[in-house]
Amino acid sequence: MNNNSDSPVKFEIDDEQGYLVVRFEGEIDLYGTPHAREVILNCIKSKRNTVIDLSAVSYIDSSGVASLVEGYQLAKNDKLEFGLVNISDAVLSVLQLAHLDKVFTIHASLDERIQAS
Amino acid sequence: MKQPEDIAQQAATLDQHLALVARMTQEFTTSLDIEDTLNNAITQMMEYMHAEAASIFLLENDDTELVCRTCAGPIQLTGLRLAADHGIIGNTVKQNAVQMVLDVSTDPDFTAQVDEQTGFTTRSILCAPLTVKDKKLGAIELINKKSEDGLFVGDDQHILTALAASAALAIHNAAMASALIEQERIQHELELAREIQSNLLPVAQADDYPVHGYNLPMREVSGDFYDYFTLPDGRIVFNLADVSGKGMNASLLMAKTSSLFHCLGKTQTSPGQLMSMINNEVHENSTRGMFVTMVGGIFDPADGTIILANAGHQPPMLQYAEGHFEEIIGQSPPLGIVPDVEFPETTLNLKDGTLYIYTDGVTESQQDGKMLGEEGFQAMITAHRDKPVTARITAMFESLQREGRELHDDVTVLVIENKPQAPSLSLKVPAKANHLKQLRDKAREVVLAAGSGKEQADSIILAISEAASNIIQHAYKDNEGDIELNIHIDSHISPHQLVITLRDYAETIDINEIRSRALDDVRPGGLGVHFMKQLMDNLVYTVPEDGRGNRLEMRITINE
Repeated sequence: MNNNSDSPVKFEIDDEQGYLVVRFEGEIDLYGTPHAREVILNCIKSKRNTVIDLSAVSYIDSSGVASLVEGYQLAKNDKLEFGLVNISDAVLSVLQLAHLDKVFTIHASLDERIQAS
Repeated sequence: MKQPEDIAQQAATLDQHLALVARMTQEFTTSLDIEDTLNNAITQMMEYMHAEAASIFLLENDDTELVCRTCAGPIQLTGLRLAADHGIIGNTVKQNAVQMVLDVSTDPDFTAQVDEQTGFTTRSILCAPLTVKDKKLGAIELINKKSEDGLFVGDDQHILTALAASAALAIHNAAMASALIEQERIQHELELAREIQSNLLPVAQADDYPVHGYNLPMREVSGDFYDYFTLPDGRIVFNLADVSGKGMNASLLMAKTSSLFHCLGKTQTSPGQLMSMINNEVHENSTRGMFVTMVGGIFDPADGTIILANAGHQPPMLQYAEGHFEEIIGQSPPLGIVPDVEFPETTLNLKDGTLYIYTDGVTESQQDGKMLGEEGFQAMITAHRDKPVTARITAMFESLQREGRELHDDVTVLVIENKPQAPSLSLKVPAKANHLKQLRDKAREVVLAAGSGKEQADSIILAISEAASNIIQHAYKDNEGDIELNIHIDSHISPHQLVITLRDYAETIDINEIRSRALDDVRPGGLGVHFMKQLMDNLVYTVPEDGRGNRLEMRITINE
């Protein structure tokens, strides 16, 4: 665990079946986004396939969505996998609003993602 | 030719003179306790100049009398009063010139009145005037030189002249200082009076209480007042009044009248009879020409009935729910002029309307030489009518105090309305990202209370948070500032019409620059505006009335 106690966003990274699984918790708004973004970009920079677990994220705003998109684009350039798993209803409706629910690959869990590929 | 010893002695004497003058000048300039300083000085002067007695007389009583303020020597003269033209001292003052009388028995100006009263024998007098610029203050007098011949000499005259000049300045300064202290004391008392006065006004109530008032005094103390209180049966007694005249007199009459109202109003619940009682009481011992205009009444929140009586005050205005106004006419003379007057009552039903009772300071406020007038005031009310009552009063007083508008009189407004208050929020937070959560949490409470379902509340909260994020990043550009969030129901449109306004005090932004970006250009800000537009029925950016910052108004119809 490498959490900044100041940040409203907590996270946990597990190495599971060849993926880095980042599990965020809290509200990803203008205050929490810089921290969340740094975590996502560090995973991609370490050249690992990455999935973001958003089950415990109760709120995400446009800045949070933008850092997910940034991670997605960076991974694509590096031919790495980047996906979202287990996302809460709150997050899903914001992604739908941004018409990004079809851009990201979204799965119920990491297992489901591996089976689907 | 003078011998060197003589010159040396003269020099030494001159030194001593200068030292005394310097010492006394310093004492005079550093002390504001004039009695003490003069007492001390007169003794030193007497001893130094080898006089038998010395005294200082100052002009008093419009310069018609000379009064001894201090003295030294065998006879106590302090407090002695002489006519201003009395004797040698009177002459000194009148001619504004030093008088040296070597033998008083040969001087026609000498009067033996004091000697006869005191038993003292005056032989020779040295008297110097005390003046500052052209103002005559009095004189300083030395009596009987203690020398072989008992005579004052030319040197004595010069020293006394020098001492008199600095003493005069000290007396003058002390008088100015005490005038200043007096002025400060009066100022302090006015501030106390203002505090006492504002404590007479009732404590402001929350939006769901039917009566609200506000008073803006133009001086330290005001002649306007208002009051309201709830009776045990739930009815509310209220009044608003304007005392004729300004300043301390007016405020004392205000204090008296408001106390009478507050006390008698608890048992006498007929506004007309209550005013008759106050009228007689004020008339009985009122200062000539002072009077009080008052609107007083009683409101029953259970059925919306208001009973009003009006003593010479301008008619209150009722704004009906549909928006038009009616003046509630019903005139009797002001309180305190004629005893035993009847004050007829008017009964009306407030329903969903609002009653405005106000002083003429409102309608007589001017902008560009033009008075606001009744119509202007009505337009001001209408401009803010969809705001909750306390926010509306605040907005009206902001408009009244806006740059360019001149207020000449105290301004007081009392507002009565009986609307069930829809949930609303007025919140101010620092424009910092770490305050966004607080903003969202407070907004969510109100939006849910206003009847929104959970899913819609999520959407509304997202739009509000995006708007606030934009203010932080793009208006303040991460500089310090505040965000004001206001949420209320615009019941004139529909009980489900939610109005959300966000206001900042940053530089005004060109509205054309605020637009959503293409969806593939996902940077914060652009995507945020896209969210807001998608989620809200309506989005309008305006420059606030006071010309500072930005205001965003978002509207949405609530569905459960």
